[in-house]
Amino acid sequence: MMRHLLKLVWNRKRTNALIILEIFFSFLVVFLVATLGFYFWDNYRQPLGYSWQNVWKITVDMKSEGGRNDGDAAKTARLQLVDRMLGEIEALEPIESAAVAMVSPYDQGGWTSGMQVDGKEVEMEANAATDSFAEVMGMEVVSGRWFQETDGALAYDPIVIDQDLARTLYGDADPVGRQFGEPDPEEKPRRIVGVVREFRKSGELSARTNFMFERLRLDVPYWFEPRSILVKVRPGTPVEFEEELTKLLQGVAPEWSFRIKPLAQERTSVFSEMLAPLVAGGIVAFFLLLMVALGLFGVLWQNLLQRTRELGLRRAAGASRVAVHRQVISEQAILTSFGVLLGMILVIQIPVLDLVGFIRPEVFAGGLVFAMAAIYLLSTLCAFYPSTMASRVQPAEALRYE
Amino acid sequence: MIKNYLKVALKVLARRKFFTFISLFGISITLLVLMVMAAIFDHSLAPHSPETRSDRTLGIYQMVMQGKDNRQNTDPGYYFLDRYARPLTKLKGVERFSIVSTPETVVSYLGGKKIESQMRRADGELWRIVEPEFIEGGPFTSEDESGARFVAVINETTRSRFFNGNPALGKTIEVDGQRFRVVGVMRDVPTMRFSSAADVWVPISTAKSKLYREQWMGGFNGLILARDEDYFPAIKAELDARLRDAERNLPDPKTYQKLAAGADTLFEAYVRKFSPGDTDVIHTGRAKAVLFLLMLLFMLLPTLNLVNINLSRILDRASEIGVRKAFGASSRTLVGQFVVENLVLTLIGSLAGLVLASLVLAALNASGFLPYARLALNYRVFLYGLAMAVFFGILSGVYPAWRMSKLHPVQALRGRSV
Repeated sequence: MMRHLLKLVWNRKRTNALIILEIFFSFLVVFLVATLGFYFWDNYRQPLGYSWQNVWKITVDMKSEGGRNDGDAAKTARLQLVDRMLGEIEALEPIESAAVAMVSPYDQGGWTSGMQVDGKEVEMEANAATDSFAEVMGMEVVSGRWFQETDGALAYDPIVIDQDLARTLYGDADPVGRQFGEPDPEEKPRRIVGVVREFRKSGELSARTNFMFERLRLDVPYWFEPRSILVKVRPGTPVEFEEELTKLLQGVAPEWSFRIKPLAQERTSVFSEMLAPLVAGGIVAFFLLLMVALGLFGVLWQNLLQRTRELGLRRAAGASRVAVHRQVISEQAILTSFGVLLGMILVIQIPVLDLVGFIRPEVFAGGLVFAMAAIYLLSTLCAFYPSTMASRVQPAEALRYE
Repeated sequence: MIKNYLKVALKVLARRKFFTFISLFGISITLLVLMVMAAIFDHSLAPHSPETRSDRTLGIYQMVMQGKDNRQNTDPGYYFLDRYARPLTKLKGVERFSIVSTPETVVSYLGGKKIESQMRRADGELWRIVEPEFIEGGPFTSEDESGARFVAVINETTRSRFFNGNPALGKTIEVDGQRFRVVGVMRDVPTMRFSSAADVWVPISTAKSKLYREQWMGGFNGLILARDEDYFPAIKAELDARLRDAERNLPDPKTYQKLAAGADTLFEAYVRKFSPGDTDVIHTGRAKAVLFLLMLLFMLLPTLNLVNINLSRILDRASEIGVRKAFGASSRTLVGQFVVENLVLTLIGSLAGLVLASLVLAALNASGFLPYARLALNYRVFLYGLAMAVFFGILSGVYPAWRMSKLHPVQALRGRSV
């Protein structure tokens, strides 16, 4: 049976080759969009590591960047001003807690760092934050502790890492108390004091990354200057409070600019920005597929009309309607399988050659299965009506056909 | 002859309505996507109000400071532009030079309402390079800049946010804790136009801190208006020479030793933005090739689809072809006839695509996804669409026509399949 079907397909190889090619490209289109969708969905289900509810972000523009190095004295003065702000903010009634960080959650840019571990480069994202950051962001400390005020007196620089980095570096062993990175004789050694849950600065839709926190001190100048103050407000704090807060900050530092935005809003804009390509791609893919479906439908119908005599002969020789139906659908399934197979051979190279490292193989598998199912469904649906029509042909009529 | 072809083509299209519909559907969707993309490109790159002179404007939008271990890639700073780029005005063919800040989000509170605006600072020269349409008043001047006067030009949307759309001239707005007197209200400019889009414009000298005057990096763009684009190479070369001079005077020579920046057209600026690794050379040719390739890739599936449909349509007409062949029509004539037929089909389809594209563009404008966008079809987009339709028509018509012309007359007359 199978051999016979293959022969039938082979006999019309030139027409069929083009149909296979069309299925191949449709498969690729569905695969790309589906994989992107699965990628976001997969990310969304992963732990975020903090809560954004009722947290406001104050972006502080010190107007001090610019490729110059204006010396430690100026930097220290600016940090002292930030420290004063933090104190005044914390004293306000609607504020539960406040912290300063180099990078805020949902920020576009960031700070990435690398480290050599056993000759392998481990990439990580990093941030520097003050002692109350974990409280403001509602972070869960899994092991050890977060930074505290007495850390300034330590002989080493305390480091907090997230569970992803802990697993990458130490597997199942407890990282607390270990040295972090190779010791640099010119700098203080760094030691891990705590582990927090998997932390994803860029939000729910971004891939999981290794994450590392340094303790941000507001009394010692550093190579960067903090840009964000994060405050946890009491639930139901009105927008008017933003204005009050801005006035207060402008009073402390009249030369600086401030911008207050609830993290909830930042989150919404990050979501819409990241999902926009998926939505646009999805719409275009939908119409492409609709076009392909209509095209395939027309082509199959036309091809079957051409084969009326052949199919009529089969009916006359005793084949049932169902058998003719099955033959047509199976032939189409064979064409589809060739197209899908070609597509899979190409697509499977991505995880095998590790071309896109940040997408997990499971996500690829999901995209692959979805694309396969969609294409088989589409091509069977397209074959169904024409094949019903073909199986209805009366043998007598078909044989007379010229 | 062509007239006959057209007649036959229309007759054939009318005969098989379902096939005609699915072909037209595919063609119009394909052309729709291509034209929407073209309209977005055109909206971002071609001269449009207020950047009516963008075809003879160069901008210094990005700068890289490079050291052995460090690299900073941002917009240029005021000091650098003022000290090293402004002297370009002495060059022959340079008409104007302006320094403009990059947009920053500023917040105003008005009776318990929060208003976020994109604010930019500029000198008076900017308004002699870009020409916004003013609804009220006019631009601020170089005297306003040198006198640090607190005056502002706002756009229509900002006027409606602050003053409910009432005349705003002479009134005061408060943004980022500073108060400005409105001297002009201009029409909204799409944010894709990155040298002329903002909600609020104020003189640079009104900045809260005067530190910007010492900064090499960050926060500003330089715009150079040339007499025409023939002067571009000379301007670029001169800027390069000035960069080498600047490298000898870098503020932090221990950390950074090299400086890279370029005077770019809008397209070059986009290419530079999307290939941050390249500093000295920007590969516009490569970018164009990539765009063209992407377009071809997108058209691949619709083309295959149309080829398949055309092939089966042709089978349907085997007997007609047999007759034509039997009466001595050459293969070439037949190929010509079918390509013309296919072109008629694609042109009808692309007209439908054009109508659909205008609807989609109107919906995009209304959605506010691209702020202040006024995407529209113009003659450039239309010509591009036409060229694409012809290209698409030939691409999808030649192979089926060739297959058909190869039919043997005897078999064709019998109505046998290919």
